[in-house]
Amino acid sequence: MSGPFAVSGDQITLAVGDDERNVLRNVPALLEIGGDAEGRLAFTPHPNDEDAAAKYRDLIGDDLAQMRRVDRAAFERVLDGESGPPETIEAFMRVIGEARIVLAGRLGIEDDGWESEMDMRSDPELALLGWLGYLQDAAVETLSELL
Amino acid sequence: MTIAPDRVDQPDVDEDHETARSWQVVVWNDPVNLMSYVVWVLRKLFGHSKEKATRLMLQVHHEGRAIVSSGPLEKAELDCHRLHHHGLWATLEQT
Repeated sequence: MSGPFAVSGDQITLAVGDDERNVLRNVPALLEIGGDAEGRLAFTPHPNDEDAAAKYRDLIGDDLAQMRRVDRAAFERVLDGESGPPETIEAFMRVIGEARIVLAGRLGIEDDGWESEMDMRSDPELALLGWLGYLQDAAVETLSELL
Repeated sequence: MTIAPDRVDQPDVDEDHETARSWQVVVWNDPVNLMSYVVWVLRKLFGHSKEKATRLMLQVHHEGRAIVSSGPLEKAELDCHRLHHHGLWATLEQT
């Protein structure tokens, strides 16, 4: 397979060049600086029931944030060239997805169809959003073969 | 042993007791997550076939939402939590 991921047995390696790798190294900072753009990563299962939402927060606590930190650590290892099992690439893929959600928030994307309405070359963040989509899709394809 | 009472009152039932109700996990459409990614998440988290996961993803895309799992509150919240971890917008509704 000549895509951005190389598979050997149950081990997967990110197979992109230094330029792409350097772009990806900015992703964790983007998530830190960009924060939770418009609250798009601040999910709640009970949006219309504050009591239930509070109980859920007490139950879950910092768990989601902790899981995201673990994912970001895996993301860094993948960028450093480590091979890993599918679970590591799943974590990598989740970080890519978070970055896309934050970028879309910063770009004010709210509706389907934005890909055909916007010039992907008009804005570096829009170009990054598109490229991260390509990378995430390739990760999905690689992982789907192992499901 | 004891004798049976003459009359049996209906036991008190807390109608609001969360675990007595069934909950549905709803995934909502968003403009960012890839269709292929949503299919993969539904297969990975719920063990759906590719066909069923694709059908649910298309329902989300075209109708704005789809019910992807259901059960007691504790299970539904866990399912919701896992979807949130994967960046999908999911909420709970009582059946």
